[in-house]
Parts: sequence; C-alpha cells; structure tokens
Amino acid sequence: MSFSRTKIIKLSPIKQMELLASKIPDVISLAQGVPSFDTPEIIKKAALKALNRGVVAKYSLTYGLPELRETIEQKLAEEDMYYDFEKEIIVTAGSIEAITASLISIIDNKKNEVILFSPSYTSYPEAVKVAGGQPVFVNLIEGGLALSQSKGWQIDFKNLERKVNSRTAAIIICNPNNPTGTIFPKEDLLKIAELAWKRKFFIICDEVYKDFVYDTRNYADLHADLIKETQSARGSASDQRNTGQRESAFFSLAQLPELRKIVIRVFSLSKAYAMTGWRIGFLHSDEENVKEIIKVHDALVTCAPVISQYAAMAALDFADQEIEEFRQKYQARRDLICQHLDELSDFFSYQKPQGSYFVFPRITRSARGSDIERGSRADLMTRRARGSSQRESVSWRFAIDLLEKAHVAVVPGIAFGPSGENHIRMSFGRSEKDINEAMKRIKEYFSI
Amino acid sequence: MITNFLKTIVQFFLKWFAKIYLWRVKPHIIVIAGTTGRHWIKEAVADALKEKNFPVRANKKNFNAEIGLPLSILGLPSGEGNFWQWLKILWQGLNICVNPRSNLRKSAYIVLEMAIDRPDNMNYLLSIVKPRTLVLTTITMIYAENFENLDEIALEYKKLVKALPWDGLAILNFDDERVKKLAEFCGRVISYGFSEEADFQVKNVRKVLDGQEIEISVNQRSNQRRSASIIKINRFGNHHIYAVLVKEIIKEHFKISTLDFFKSLSH
Repeated sequence: MSFSRTKIIKLSPIKQMELLASKIPDVISLAQGVPSFDTPEIIKKAALKALNRGVVAKYSLTYGLPELRETIEQKLAEEDMYYDFEKEIIVTAGSIEAITASLISIIDNKKNEVILFSPSYTSYPEAVKVAGGQPVFVNLIEGGLALSQSKGWQIDFKNLERKVNSRTAAIIICNPNNPTGTIFPKEDLLKIAELAWKRKFFIICDEVYKDFVYDTRNYADLHADLIKETQSARGSASDQRNTGQRESAFFSLAQLPELRKIVIRVFSLSKAYAMTGWRIGFLHSDEENVKEIIKVHDALVTCAPVISQYAAMAALDFADQEIEEFRQKYQARRDLICQHLDELSDFFSYQKPQGSYFVFPRITRSARGSDIERGSRADLMTRRARGSSQRESVSWRFAIDLLEKAHVAVVPGIAFGPSGENHIRMSFGRSEKDINEAMKRIKEYFSI
Repeated sequence: MITNFLKTIVQFFLKWFAKIYLWRVKPHIIVIAGTTGRHWIKEAVADALKEKNFPVRANKKNFNAEIGLPLSILGLPSGEGNFWQWLKILWQGLNICVNPRSNLRKSAYIVLEMAIDRPDNMNYLLSIVKPRTLVLTTITMIYAENFENLDEIALEYKKLVKALPWDGLAILNFDDERVKKLAEFCGRVISYGFSEEADFQVKNVRKVLDGQEIEISVNQRSNQRRSASIIKINRFGNHHIYAVLVKEIIKEHFKISTLDFFKSLSH
C-alpha cells in the first residue's frame, strides 16, 4: 500500500489549528471561517417540514431537486446570470465538492496544471491534487499599506501570463477572496477571461462570499456604470432579462454569455445563510461542461443531501432579509476588528477587507518575538536544505505562539500559499464578544 | 400544536379576505398551473399584459399554495415565523378587502401561479379563486410525492380546467399528452408547444452563444399556418421557449378596451 496520491495531500492547516486549539482550554478561535449565527428559523422549519412529510429519505435526481434548480435559476436571473435549470445547474454537497468535481472532469494527462492565486483558499491546492493535477501559484501583490489602503491585493498579470502554458487546465478565482477579502475589479476579471479564452483553459469562479460585500455604496458606484455598459451593449434583446432583476454591485464572469463555455461558477449556501453543516451548494455552466461534471458528481456523492436541498429552497426563496442582517453585522464586526488592528499598528499592518469575513494582517518585524525570528532564521537554512515546510514558517510559529501564550487561534498565512507568509488570517465571522476578547488577549500578548 | 392552530386561523382569515376582495373587485384571473415552468410563464404573461398597458399584478416570489395564493391575491407579504407580523398582515388584509380606495382595486388582471402537492389541494385553492384564463404547463411526478401516479395528478388539473367559465380560455401545452387530453373538457383552447398540432408551434430552435433563436408558426383558424418572424431569447432551456409561446398567445388574444386603456393611464 503506497498511498502515492494521498501522501502529497495535506490536511487543511485551518483544521490543524482547530485541532491544536481544541486541546487548550479557554481558546478563542478566529481560525475557522464559520459564521457565529445559527441557520435562520425559516430554513430550519422548511427542513423539518420536509422531514415530516417523509420526502427526504430517498435520493434526489443527481442534478438535484428540480424545484430547487428552478429556484436557483430564478435567483441567478436576478443577478443577470442565465442558466437552464434542467441541464446547466447541479446542486452539490457544498462548494468544495463542486470545485473538486469540476477539476476532476477538466484535468487530464495533457492539461493538468491549475493556477491558484496566492494567497487564496487553503483547500484549493489539495482539491487540485485530489483531481490528479498540479497547483501553480500566481502571487497577489499586496498594495500600499498606507492609511488610504485603496490598492488592496492585486493580480500580478506578468507573473500570470508567464505561468500559463499548454498544460494549464484551469484557474480558480475566489471572489471576494478568502483570506484577503479582496474584490477583484471587473477589468482584471475580463483580462483573465481573455487570457483563458485565448489559451483555452477554464475559469472556476468561487463566489461563496459574494453576499458579504461592504462599503457597497462606493463599490456600487464603481461598478454600476460597468454593469450598465454591459447591459446597454446587449441592446433591446435583453428585455426579457430585466424581469425581476435588481441592480447588482457585484460582477461575475458568469454574467457574460460569451464566456459561459469557459466559466464554471460555484456557490455555496454555507456562509451566506449560515449553513456550513448542511453541506449544500451548486455550480452552473454551459450544458457542454455540466454534462461532463455531472458524471463525477454522481460518482462522488450521487446527489446532495436531500434534506439540505429542501432547506436550500427555503433559503433562496425566503431568507434575503436574514442575509442582509448578516451582512450588516459582519460589516460592523469588520470595522470593530480593524479598529483593534489600528491600535496594534506597531505589530500588524493590513488591507481593509472589501468582502468576506476575513482580515489578513501582515505581521510586522516588531511583532515577531525573538524566538520566532531566531527560529525562522535557523529554519531558513533547513528549509533551503530540505524544501519549504509550513510548520517552519514565521506565520506558523507566530500562530502557534499566539495560541499557546494568548489562547487565541488564528490561521498562519503560509496556509494560503507562499505569498501568504508573514500574515495571519483572522475571521470576524465570530461574535463581537469573541472578537473583543481575542483582541484583548492579543494586546496583552504584545504587553500593550 | 399552537403553531398549527395559528396557521389554521391565519389560513382561514386570508381565504375569506381574498374571497371578499375577489367578489368586490372582480378582476380577470389568469392562473398558471402545472408541475414545471410556472414561474417563467407567469412572468411572461404579466409582461405581455403590461406591454399592452393592462393594469396587471402577479404573485410575488412563489406564493402559490394555501397561504401564498390569498397573500398574492391581496398583494401582501408573508409574515414568515413572526406572530405579530401575521397579525399586522391580517389587519392589512381586512383593510384591503373592505376599503374601496385601496390601490389594489385598480388591478383589473391578476396573474396567479397555482401549485399543488397533495390530492385535496386543488379543491381548497378553487374554493378561493376561479380562473377565467388558464395556462397549463406540464403534468409530471417531480414535485408530487403525495400522489399515486400521473393520472391522479391529471385529475386535479381536470378540476381546474372544469372550473373555467363558458367563455374562459385554456392555453394548453400540447407536448404533454396528459395536458393535451384535458382539452376535451374546455370550451376555448389555444395550444402551444413543439407538437405539430399546436396552434402556436415552435420550430427550428437554434442555440446561439447568448441564448436561443426560435421560429413560431401560428395556426390560423382556416387551418393554414403563417410563420412569425424569428424570435431571439436570451435564456436557455425549453421552459423559456414555452414562456415566449404563451407570451405571444397572450399578446395576440388580449386586446385592451378603450376604457381599460384610460384606466391604466390613471393607474
């Protein structure tokens, strides 16, 4: 038994941190990206109703319940995305199953490289490896850390173009990005799309945080014109689309019909509706792609959990108000955690997140205790000798030190790719009380 | 237990408020029923009527069953799980059905989606509202775990067809054999679909980059066909083709009267 494929796959560092944290009493975790809220009542009631009606014990169709897919089609249409519920939408067991199924269907012997931004979601590289592919990192460049903080994390296009080759099967874009909270501008997404079109690779758009976009007025101002431009370019033929459509401030490549053959969009209800445990999400793309992905989805899970599908139906139909409440609370929590980080400006510098519920501060030199620094210098030699290891990185050592001394769990930035090093990810999905207590402990850790 | 009791109370009052409203206002009710594709057809019917300046209103979201249907008729939101919200909604419902100055009185046409998931549902819904125009989409098993078979579901829709008045209109999908069979029980029927027998037949569907191009052929009463121009829709899937067909039927069938035209202007 060699386990040659799984030997190269690592357990997510987020889970590792959670595991370590669970062994220490009284730890406050800002590590895992789990909302502090419970699933809204209306969703739970719908699930209970389905359970009592006795309709959840059997498999659904592999694509998912038709009524749920119809609801998804309607919901997508409200966001200017048009997909046929019968052939172009698959209900999945969360977004990671959707991503993995897509990767398995895309990757082959000739095209096996998948481009991932660094830093980006920690499970992507492992999903690529599970699919038999090879992750290729393209760094995001951290913009100015001045007070204006307007630049954010930007795509290094020169690096991206260099990394694309005939073996490139796909690129995964997490937008808003986990862990940086960056929202990629439309122009950048279109540049990637052009590259993907020319070099024939897929774009997997993971938009699980798209409902948590902050400072919407500024963001909307920025993007409303672009959206209007797109719509007017389509001319009068778009009359049908305007039905029930609300102007969205968030741009997705899946809104452009010209790209539907190369874009696979993934969404999960986990974050938006506080349903992480329900394992429910969906993907949509052109029929040609979906008819291949469905084979993998069938082999992996047969169908998404049926009770969760009924819950998802209620979520999409009736929980808009709850999402808006969550968004407002997360925005207040973002401002709270940023306020604390401002007070720790000698130790952390950060980009204010525009979306998601994560902040990704850089650990300044003065924050790294002598142990961490010494360790890192000594380890540098070792790393050079035997290859890089996450556990030897500054961010890992810092996270462990913080966990052991301050009893606060965060995720080391190295977990999100090489350029995540020297950062930590903090989740403000936690309650205000937890955030305040965790930040109080961090201040004590730095003896403030 | 208490929740069920309160639900029954809310359902009872909403039913009667809706009935009183319908009795007073006497709108033209267009019901969209069937097991699939109702939403898009409802939107298409409402669009067609709006384009012709008819004062029209349609269900919000998928308010289409025992509680949702009267809410749609009264133009009210759902109270969801909030008791006080429901009390407020019942108060509003009472006001709407007795207040002659209510804005909703101006909705001369109401487009309603109707959904059933068990055998006695249709009787209940018909006890609230009777259609004057009916659009039937398909009869399939996919939403109907509580039915024995498709014929049992078809019997429910037969009740709906039979509820049409003598001058009512049934718009039936002739691609569905069970729906087609229901034509025997209607007075006026206009059919649609891919079937050659359909009055509004779709032909030559072509998938293009950003949607579908279709050709609609209309059967004249003289049994001759005339070809309509090619229509481009920016959506994918047959259910959108059906929605376009029904929209064309509505546009051709419903002509606004001068009185309604001036009413719509004032609206």
